[in-house]
Amino acid sequence: MNTVIETRGLEKHFGRVRALDGLDLSVEAGEVHGFLGPNGAGKSTTIRVLLGLIRASGGNATLFGRDPWRDAVELHRRIAYVPGDVNLWSNLSGGESIDLLTRLRGGTTDKRAYAARREHLAEVFQFDPSKKGRTYSKGNRQKVALIAALATPADLYILDEPTSGLDPLMEAVFRQEIAALLGDGATVLLSSHILSEVEHLCDRVSIIRAGRTVETGTLAELRHLTRTEISFAGEGLDPAGFAAIPGAHDLVVDGARVRFTADSDAMPEVLATLGRLRATGVTVNPPSLEELFMRHYHDELDEPARSSLEGVR
Amino acid sequence: MNTLPTLLLARFRRDRVQIIVWLALFALLEVVGHTAVTETYGDEAERASVIRLVIMSPAILMLRGTPQGTDADAFQFFLLFGFLGLMIGLMMTFLAVRHTRGDEEAGRAELVGSTPAGRIAPLLATALEGIILSVLVGAIMGGVAFAFGADASGALLYGAAMSAVGIAYLGVGLACAQLMRTSRGANGLAAAIVTLGYALRAMGDATGTVQPDGLSMEAGWWSWLSPIGWGQAVAPYTHQLVWPLALCIGLGAVLFAASAWLQSHRDLDSSIVPERAGRLHAPLSLSGPIGLVWRTLRNPVIGWVIGGALFGLVLGAVGQTVVDLVNTPDGEEAGQAISDTLASLAGPNAEGGLIDLFTTGLFGLVGVLAAVGGVQAVMRARQDEAGGTAELVLAAPVSRFRWFSAYLLIGVVSVAAVLAFAVLGAFVGLIGSPDAGERMSTVAEAGLAQLPACLVIVAVAALVFALVPRASIALGWAVLLVAIVLGQFGGLFGFPEWLRDVSPFSHTPIVTAETIDWTAAWVMTGIAVVVAAGATALVRRRDLALGG
Repeated sequence: MNTVIETRGLEKHFGRVRALDGLDLSVEAGEVHGFLGPNGAGKSTTIRVLLGLIRASGGNATLFGRDPWRDAVELHRRIAYVPGDVNLWSNLSGGESIDLLTRLRGGTTDKRAYAARREHLAEVFQFDPSKKGRTYSKGNRQKVALIAALATPADLYILDEPTSGLDPLMEAVFRQEIAALLGDGATVLLSSHILSEVEHLCDRVSIIRAGRTVETGTLAELRHLTRTEISFAGEGLDPAGFAAIPGAHDLVVDGARVRFTADSDAMPEVLATLGRLRATGVTVNPPSLEELFMRHYHDELDEPARSSLEGVR
Repeated sequence: MNTLPTLLLARFRRDRVQIIVWLALFALLEVVGHTAVTETYGDEAERASVIRLVIMSPAILMLRGTPQGTDADAFQFFLLFGFLGLMIGLMMTFLAVRHTRGDEEAGRAELVGSTPAGRIAPLLATALEGIILSVLVGAIMGGVAFAFGADASGALLYGAAMSAVGIAYLGVGLACAQLMRTSRGANGLAAAIVTLGYALRAMGDATGTVQPDGLSMEAGWWSWLSPIGWGQAVAPYTHQLVWPLALCIGLGAVLFAASAWLQSHRDLDSSIVPERAGRLHAPLSLSGPIGLVWRTLRNPVIGWVIGGALFGLVLGAVGQTVVDLVNTPDGEEAGQAISDTLASLAGPNAEGGLIDLFTTGLFGLVGVLAAVGGVQAVMRARQDEAGGTAELVLAAPVSRFRWFSAYLLIGVVSVAAVLAFAVLGAFVGLIGSPDAGERMSTVAEAGLAQLPACLVIVAVAALVFALVPRASIALGWAVLLVAIVLGQFGGLFGFPEWLRDVSPFSHTPIVTAETIDWTAAWVMTGIAVVVAAGATALVRRRDLALGG
């Protein structure tokens, strides 16, 4: 498989603030790659380095095997971008902004196909293109950038928190449109702090924190790192037997119920043991990415360096 | 709970810097005006001769007002009141819009409206702030006049006339904020109404009737359509009419009442004039950075060009009057003063006939106008960079060079257009004057001579943007201001030559000289090209500096 985005030990300093501190990211062709992290973790900074808007202070970054700073213009012919915070020209209408962005990307060679595509997107996103830029809400400004990005084909879509201003209905539309893109073999880098979005769309995710990659892999691989929650009815059972459950963590007897968590790869043994104990009313909650995510967020709160990153995006 | 004092204090706090600047500006103009009258037109005979001349020249009357006899304070009132009325009009309309429609557009009005302050209290607080400031401006003007020896009742009426004009335009600003959906639209409409008021009184003054004494005039009926005209009609040092004040205050009160009624009957974020729907599709001209920058800057550039053309027109039309002034026997002294002033404006070691000095001197001001437009274009790049739209453009296959050179190009086009239209305006103004052909060629040279200095300023502003993006707006305008003060007015202020030479304007070729030396012009053009190229290269090398 071809690697579309590759960074190794990427660093970016703003004065004394280290916005990126050795970030590794690898996105393969044809995949939707989730780029997860809390605000201020360095998602937007990474994306701006990848777009050649700012220059890395250290480490390597390549897009399609080329230097994102030096070959910015050439690379941008293949990229569609939706910024995290979309600002529009106050005196242009939404329709004008969409057309302008598309033309800047050189994407209107087939005018009729573009017009039809724009029409379709405006309809599914319920977007009124006749209003002036300054009167649009955050969600509508985001729709302008989304429609412009999706209206013409690209090899790589870089979407920075593209749904942060959209309502759930529009999020669903967004997911549909992204799914349609994948049929065409496009690659998507989707930054987000919303897990459901990533879980629905992404093949692989990278979780970053304080400018560093802390976890990367397929969803299945990451679930592997999390624990499954199990509970069963404990009445009439010998508590001494609970200790025999292999790989059980944090076991509590809560009235009539017994709860514990188990490493996901220990599940076959856990279930066999529960069978031997003749446990009833067993519930098994699959591991959620949420848990993994929360774990990294919680760690984060202990990082004193975090506060210095406030305001840097 | 009474929220009015809180809202009022918040307004004063938010405006504190602006208020100080505005008040200082009014005080300064008033002081400079009185000083100039005492120094240049010190005795009554001089003033009489000047008045006899300007009564014959509608162009000067349009710029100034109607003379009210030879009294020094009345003379000052004639020279300055129209312009000060325009200024207080703009100050008050901007203030009114900023705290009403501006707040509404930014979402602050929604926050405040959700508190017990409700709908009317913010409007009332804005009106009160405007009234207090109008009265303050009037007090300053009257106070300065009194300090310069005006009689107490005259000074009081003078200040009152100024305050009343302010209150009338405060009402205009409040009403415009109700009418338009955006603060930009409201400010535009209000500024147009203020300018119309100035223009109507200019018509009235130009078409006024000369009184039997030959030294004073009664303004024509046009002036009665303008609040500034009403203020002038007070004639505080001569006729001392009080009732025109009631017209101003009455207009302000009616417009405030109408605004309050609209405010309490309309929805938040709605307006009487509906926002025009934008185009569904971009026109073909909007396809690249140049089209985009042109679209953003089109209106201001057109504004500067119209300003340049009008300035050139007036300059061409009044030139001959000035010459006549000097040629009258009793005008000699006044003429000498004007001649000295113009020579220092025209540049170091300027020489030549008075009319050409006049032309080149005032074309220096056209150069300032052109440079302001050029710097504005370059500063737009910073606004787009900070505002986030540059990110959208640069994430497309658009090189930094292509992006930034669009601003430079529009800046240079703006500079050239302002100068060209000023020259054309002057041509029209010169039609019919003696030696028109010769005058026109001097004017054309004077216009061309301004170009290199303006280009250097634009290039330096570009360099500032490339090197220190976050400070570039303040620093870019500061560069222009220093260049103007040192170059155009350095002679007037008596700065040493080495200091004046820092400014590119000091090196503008003197077209009144026997043979014009264009060397400096070529050198400056070369410097501008090199600096601009350097700036463009540096823009390519730096990070996009977002926000702040």
